Amino acid sequence: MVIDKEGEVFSIQTIDLTKRFAKKRHRGFFGFLRKNQSKNKHKEKNDVTVALDKVNLEIRPGELFGLLGPNGSGKTTTIKCLSTILIPDEGTAIVNGFDTQKETAMVRASLGMVVGGERTLYWKLTARDNLTYFASLYKMQRRHAKKRIEELLETMQLSDRADERLEDYSTGMRQKVAIARALLHDPPILLLDEPTLGLDPNFSRQIRRQIRELSEKHGKTVLLTTHYMDEADQLCDRVAFINNGKIVAVDTPNRLKAMVKEKGLVEVTVYRPPAGIEKHIRSLLPDAEAVKLIPGDEDEGNPSRIKIIGGTAEEHMETIIDALRQKNVRIGSLNVGVPTLEDVFIKLTGAKLTEGRT
Amino acid sequence: MMKSTYQQSVLRSNLSVVWNELVKNIKSLLAYPAILVFWAIFPIFWFIPFILQGQAFVGGFESASFAQITGSGEYVPFIVIGAVLNSYVNTLLYGMGENIRKESYQGTLDYVLAAPCNKAYVLIGKALSESVSSTIFAASQLTISVILFGMKITLGVMLPVFFIVILLMLGLYGMSLILAAFSLMYKQSYDLSQTIGYVFYIFAPVRYPVESLPTWAQIFGKLIPLTYALIIVRSFMLLGTDFSAVYLEVLALLIIDIALLLAGFYLFSWMEEKTKKSGTISHH
Repeated sequence: MVIDKEGEVFSIQTIDLTKRFAKKRHRGFFGFLRKNQSKNKHKEKNDVTVALDKVNLEIRPGELFGLLGPNGSGKTTTIKCLSTILIPDEGTAIVNGFDTQKETAMVRASLGMVVGGERTLYWKLTARDNLTYFASLYKMQRRHAKKRIEELLETMQLSDRADERLEDYSTGMRQKVAIARALLHDPPILLLDEPTLGLDPNFSRQIRRQIRELSEKHGKTVLLTTHYMDEADQLCDRVAFINNGKIVAVDTPNRLKAMVKEKGLVEVTVYRPPAGIEKHIRSLLPDAEAVKLIPGDEDEGNPSRIKIIGGTAEEHMETIIDALRQKNVRIGSLNVGVPTLEDVFIKLTGAKLTEGRT
Repeated sequence: MMKSTYQQSVLRSNLSVVWNELVKNIKSLLAYPAILVFWAIFPIFWFIPFILQGQAFVGGFESASFAQITGSGEYVPFIVIGAVLNSYVNTLLYGMGENIRKESYQGTLDYVLAAPCNKAYVLIGKALSESVSSTIFAASQLTISVILFGMKITLGVMLPVFFIVILLMLGLYGMSLILAAFSLMYKQSYDLSQTIGYVFYIFAPVRYPVESLPTWAQIFGKLIPLTYALIIVRSFMLLGTDFSAVYLEVLALLIIDIALLLAGFYLFSWMEEKTKKSGTISHH
């Protein structure tokens, strides 16, 4: 663990962590002939994506910490740098007191991770075979590993199907095996990257309950990345928002939501909103800080939502309703003043969590 | 500091990594039952055409001119030994690179690389699993040649032959590590494996005696581990010699093995580091 100058202890600490990726350029069939033609510095700068830009995080022991951001914001890159799969270009990451670049074996032994979900297992092997194999990679003694595997299969309610190949499992069951693998060597720190992605509500609930237990009952430090705001709100002690590789805010979910509550918030669920509806509402409410349309899937019973944040939105609900009626938009419901973490993210970045890089 | 159940009994845990990697690969392979049919039938197609071609040319199973070059007039065992040892080249060279590529494609490579064990033992486990399938294939070829062509195998000679096969495999492990390193970086190694396989096939005496090659090609062939393995094994099995007659070839094979293994492990670690920096390690 890391102890800073004030004597505070951290399980995970990153200091100015920076990672850049070269953009792949496709030069065509005879591209190799053109390889050295562009030595233009400005162009070279544009050929690099900054995935992490001086990221500073401090996560305390036993804390359930959420890292939230849209796709491509840098969540998975952060996890891969912490787990030594990627080497950062600049900065330092310290995990359980070990430097990720200098003490890789000890960092790896301190971590369990769930990255990439169900695809990261051997589908032609059984759950027990998968866990036995990974236990050996974590240098667990055979007898201890066997006992631990039985315990985990029991905890994950997979004992009765432990000797079936994973190709016969459901997505949720495979995700449980992935979590069991992360817990095999009983690591003090868990890195969970979108652990409920693609799961049905029942499995999602089960996985969330297990994550909460791991933190509360077993004292694990959990770094959870997700773009499900409700999940982060329910589970996390603190959350950090990341956008375009930069941390834009870190605090408890309640304190973050209070930032929006003070300002005022209106959320309208609508059906088939026309293009340009955001601009239209914004023109009527010039003091609003953000107007965002979050597209839904009406066939799946999820209508689109329009969020109006800040200004005097709450006092001008009639204006909003009239604006929508003018455009023949059917209104499903209208809520006032109940902010979510998504609202905070919109306010801070102007982007939606479902968007990619802004 | 919180402790994990990370254990550090070095030798046992490293052997366990090798064993579990071997078991995992064999179980994954056997999940496709068609592979057993392949192992049983494919060896026939591997060398029978050459035997029949030889028979058509010389009108029997023996040739006087062949005896002048090699010391033995029977060309069937000559071809069978060439085919059997070359099958190790085929499976080992293609196997490792493809195995790494498959791990990368199915998303398991990140987890293997993020584990605290030494990755060299994972690679050894992978190489061993390829050796098991190669040996089954080779045994299948030998059995077919005994049944169909009456090839005689003396059991006493099999122990030194097996020793040479192990030396050959060590050199091929080194080469397959180099190919696996390329697979890590460039996400495919099949074409390179195939090219090397053909180079071996032409410059090593797989189908013809080394004396049939021009002098420059014979010199090039001496850089290939398969050349020495073929010379030694044929010397044991066809001429009935022992190690004293081929100790220089054994030494040369050993030196090539060490050089290839060192180059393989170094290149793999270097490529792993490079791909972790470039961020392409998880790509496929």
